[in-house]
Amino acid sequence: MTLAELLPALHGLPKCEKLRAIQLLAADVAREDGEMLVPSEAAYPVWSPFDAFDGAATLMRMLNDEKAS
Amino acid sequence: MPKRFPYVEADPMLGPASALPYAPITLHLGDRSAHVSGLIDSGSTLNVLPFDVGIQLGAVWDEQSVPVRLGGNIVETEARGLVLFGQLEGFSPVRLAFAWSRSNRIPVILGQTNFFLEFDVRLCRSQMFFEIAPRSSLGS
Repeated sequence: MTLAELLPALHGLPKCEKLRAIQLLAADVAREDGEMLVPSEAAYPVWSPFDAFDGAATLMRMLNDEKAS
Repeated sequence: MPKRFPYVEADPMLGPASALPYAPITLHLGDRSAHVSGLIDSGSTLNVLPFDVGIQLGAVWDEQSVPVRLGGNIVETEARGLVLFGQLEGFSPVRLAFAWSRSNRIPVILGQTNFFLEFDVRLCRSQMFFEIAPRSSLGS
């Protein structure tokens, strides 16, 4: 399929899907170039309990208690 | 000898942007076991276990008496301490203490306490692999 054939369909897309198409194509091109784009609309959950120091101390105590018993 | 694992792309649409170091690990509690993918997370202060994995291992929530305070995105999630054995293929099982969470919205997280105390980890994200070895056996 050529670009000329695709264009009418692309023009007919709603605005949000046009933006999505732009992002997907940009990511494709970047990937081919060995680069990487991070799509801005995606969610990137960060689950790391990076500051659970109390919790870590509790687990250490549990391990030590179990070792001692 | 370290064991090498590939990064796992969690979302095919995002490809390498979604690549994370998930290690296959078997968790044991008594005579029950569960084979899971654990996220190797150096940014986590502790190991975290989703609720259903604990249930699969036969753990009983009401019998776990030690509350564990979580942090980060899951700071509001209730958790209790649970000590298991964890075994990576080819290595001896080790005791791993988990914050057993009430939530299933999180993966198994292998964090600083105490996964990183038992294993040395080398992350080679640019080459899409990571290596794990029993503590003190990676080059010093």
